Amino acid sequence: MTNSLLTFVQLCDSNFPIGGFSHSFGLETYIQEDVVKDRISFQEWLDTYFREQVKYTEGLAFQLVCEALCENDLERIWHMDRLLYVQNLPKETREGNTQMGVRMLKLAESLFEYGILANYLKRIKQGKSFGHSAIVFAVIAHYHRIQPREGLGFYLYSLVSNLVQNAVRAIPLGQTDGQKILLESQQLINSVAEEIAALTIADFGIVSPGLEISQMKHEHVKVRIFMS
Amino acid sequence: MQKEWTGELQLELTEKKNKTVPADVYFRGAFKVMRPIYLDDSGQLTYYLLNPGGGYLSGDTYSMDIRVNENARAILTTQSATKVYKSPGEPAYQYGKFTLKSNSLLEYIPDPLIVYREGSYKQLNQFYVDNTSTLICSDIITPGWSPTGKQFSYDKVDLQNEVFIHKELGVFDRVVTEPAKNNPSVFGRMEGYSHLGSMMVISPYMTDEVIENIYDMMEQKDVNFGISRCPVPGFSLRILANQTQIIEEILQMCHGYLREVWFGMSPVFLRKY
Repeated sequence: MTNSLLTFVQLCDSNFPIGGFSHSFGLETYIQEDVVKDRISFQEWLDTYFREQVKYTEGLAFQLVCEALCENDLERIWHMDRLLYVQNLPKETREGNTQMGVRMLKLAESLFEYGILANYLKRIKQGKSFGHSAIVFAVIAHYHRIQPREGLGFYLYSLVSNLVQNAVRAIPLGQTDGQKILLESQQLINSVAEEIAALTIADFGIVSPGLEISQMKHEHVKVRIFMS
Repeated sequence: MQKEWTGELQLELTEKKNKTVPADVYFRGAFKVMRPIYLDDSGQLTYYLLNPGGGYLSGDTYSMDIRVNENARAILTTQSATKVYKSPGEPAYQYGKFTLKSNSLLEYIPDPLIVYREGSYKQLNQFYVDNTSTLICSDIITPGWSPTGKQFSYDKVDLQNEVFIHKELGVFDRVVTEPAKNNPSVFGRMEGYSHLGSMMVISPYMTDEVIENIYDMMEQKDVNFGISRCPVPGFSLRILANQTQIIEEILQMCHGYLREVWFGMSPVFLRKY
């Protein structure tokens, strides 16, 4: 008998092997430009990244996929998968999300054996879908009977925890600072999740120019430890 | 049912003996086009769009339906900047539907959008593109002058572009700036700049070399920019700067470069001032 809470602790672990350690989603550009250089500036970046990008893209997608799952509307889930892919204009960030999505899907499919995950994987092999971790995560939450709002909190936490680990390595920050940021980010996670609850599909896909440019510029960052 | 548009435009352009000619032109209300002109001897037709009302107000709605038929080549631009005035309540709204049939070319290069104090604007462009045709389009968002001299006095600009290739959504590009609500100087937003320029190009001729060449041309300019390959053949370019003129120069440079390498055509000068 598995325990839902422990399953989600496992999924949110930054060691969960989906390749998150290779992606900074534009953070590395700011580190190279010396804009992000310490704990305070990293938290400013994290705040903007979640409020201006994650909220309207994978965060909102998570919520919409939960709704579609409740209504058993698979076509809407595949549509969200496409939207997540085509709205991501910086190539490295788009490909990074796809790689992580596919790895998470393969892993989840062997851990949980839900028919919908096998179906998703098949669609990707056929070139009909692309793969995104938000969708895989939402499916797992749904079948574990986790409330969408709670599931969204777990999902956002998994994104934050990965980025904090990457910041600790790249800026670098002390491990204690990393843990402090993680603890403080609960406030950010809660307020972003609350704001997402008020959004609809009409709010989907908004990006902030600066963040997007930093993700595009990463293609030309000279010395890099991340793929995006 | 859609209520009556404030301004409405329909254009259908067709190729005849290596020359692009209008097949259908209809406009009413606060949208108007001048007679088409030929800027060079390539047969490419250019339309200038006018807003006789002088500017967009709260609740105004504009609609454009532009069809570029097989092998036709066209430029659509504006006669002057689109001005959005104080719009309490409903934002001003513009919808554009652009259909590019096989082997066609559309260059949609409007003047800057100037949004004044408390102005709010939403734009949705849907491009239905054949995978043999080329689309070049651009946007510039400019904060209008405010009586207090304060930068960033407008409320909200929401620009959304959707590209469908053979009916499948291939690009979803949505930029929103809300300077009245969020401090635009915070990094990640406008990075301390006041003007945003964008160019989106969809083309079967797209290569990595094009990106590298544009990147090299851009690196000499004093702007913050990013360029990347789209989910479908093409690229997206974003520029942050403090002057309209700088962004216009860059967009014109990229536009001229693409015309030359892909179509062997010379650059065009669309501005009237």
